[in-house]
Amino acid sequence: MAAATDFTLPAVTGPPVALRQMLHGGPVVLVFGHADCPTSTLALRRLAAAGPGARIVCVLEESPEDAARIARRTGFPYPVLAQAEPYEISRAYSIETVPTAVLVATDGSVADTVVGWDAAGYERLLGVELDGEPRLKPGCMARWTFDWRTGGLDEFEDMLERGWSDGLPVVPPTPDRVEAMLGGREPALSLGAVPPAHGEATLARVAACAVLAGCRPAYFPVVVAAVEAALEPGFNAHGIAVTTQPAGPILVVNGPARERLGLNSGMGALGPGTRANATIGRALRLVLMLTGGARPGGLDRATLGQPGKFACCFAENEEASPWEPLHVERGFAAEASTVTLVAADAPLSISDHRSRTPEELAATLAWAAAAQWSPFWWPMDDTSLYVVCPEHAALFAAAGWRKERLRHAMFEAVQRPAGELRRGETTPLVQRSRDDEPIHKWTSPEKIMIVVAGGEAGRFSAVFGPCDGMQAQVVTKEVRWST
Amino acid sequence: MEYVSPIDERRREPVPFAARPTDLAGKRVALLDITKARGTEFLDRVEELLVAEGAEPFRISKEIFSKPASTEVIEAIAIRGDLAVEGLAD
Repeated sequence: MAAATDFTLPAVTGPPVALRQMLHGGPVVLVFGHADCPTSTLALRRLAAAGPGARIVCVLEESPEDAARIARRTGFPYPVLAQAEPYEISRAYSIETVPTAVLVATDGSVADTVVGWDAAGYERLLGVELDGEPRLKPGCMARWTFDWRTGGLDEFEDMLERGWSDGLPVVPPTPDRVEAMLGGREPALSLGAVPPAHGEATLARVAACAVLAGCRPAYFPVVVAAVEAALEPGFNAHGIAVTTQPAGPILVVNGPARERLGLNSGMGALGPGTRANATIGRALRLVLMLTGGARPGGLDRATLGQPGKFACCFAENEEASPWEPLHVERGFAAEASTVTLVAADAPLSISDHRSRTPEELAATLAWAAAAQWSPFWWPMDDTSLYVVCPEHAALFAAAGWRKERLRHAMFEAVQRPAGELRRGETTPLVQRSRDDEPIHKWTSPEKIMIVVAGGEAGRFSAVFGPCDGMQAQVVTKEVRWST
Repeated sequence: MEYVSPIDERRREPVPFAARPTDLAGKRVALLDITKARGTEFLDRVEELLVAEGAEPFRISKEIFSKPASTEVIEAIAIRGDLAVEGLAD
């Protein structure tokens, strides 16, 4: 039998360790591996069950710091040694594949070898039973056999190949990044099953989506609140996910978290350019798409979709609003931070620089929704979300209009005789009404939801169209953890 | 490189298809209307064809098309029916 080459390597805990010294206590199983090899990390995890008597030593082709991290992540309870470039020990043992296990007898000879993950082989080497699947898994190339710095898979390409993306580049969810995102919270805690595929939204998976989306860890409590809102049965995440409609989730953030996280409620609030807006909205979409399985073209059956399905999150401009903020209107304390989730179509911009009375402006805003869902589909029984710009809001405020009055004025403004609506896709109400009977665009004023956002200059408001027929309720959740 | 997967990788056991009947005579067929527009027209025609084949169709509806069928609806189909036909879209 070949003699095992003696070596001394730094250990991740304690002083350097020599093979000769270890053999004084009996035979040793050396397990070679590295961090880029999933089979190596699998082997370390599975070997953790070998029991306290097992004489296993892992030799990782990593720096001591990286080796320590892998030991921690895998829960590997035995000694871990770090082998630096040019990996002379791997070469001396002719380790071409990792993991490879080498049984070194007390006389210093190589008594047995197992290549890759082979549970039966490890059972033979260790004399213990190793339950669980898989029993076999091929390994990867050892680092010394190729130029791993340039020859490895680009991690950004890897993310897209795995399908962990909405089509744009993502931040790879490494354990370190996910750990930072979790901020000490319990990774296995479940927020519930995400329709339509019912993947379990553990905090670890939600955190992975937040990392992929590019969130800072401080945003995570808002992402969690958004996921909680989406999983409320009333939101009908199943219907929103699988419909042929273009519906997507719109997130409106209220309260102090807006300022703490740098959420944009002002100029360009619905557009690009702010990390918190873009990544919080994207994180929710990734949870629905990846954990929930609603991939466009797969279980997401949207005929066209809409750009807002990449991400749509903005904060209410409470400071510029003459009215109580959305979360207060919905029963939360002013000092609470909340996320309000609305299932909606793409926004339509409404220009009005000419109206000088609240009645005129209310009519302009309201009539912009006349063609929503479908031009002859009156009334709509789902929510239209209006984002009123500060200049428009100021006009109403100057006239002493409260939000409720505006809502009623808008509701009353948009009516048409049934006879003009009896074309194409129309409603049963229109079909059975007399020609001159007036029909409203909405079933009630409560279907008109109003928030204030946008820059101080310019008279452009917007309205998000509803997902008609979805019975998707608007859901508000408090951000429970400190941001 | 090791990553935390955003996907629930747990495998679900595939549910095998129920045995297919060789003929329709005497079979109780649930006609599930999901309440989408014109679903009834489609099911009316299916019902005619089933009756002509000697089947015994009966109607059942979801509460709303945009949400999964309730347990009550699914159980009613399973208890009362040998087969089911769903009028899926408009």
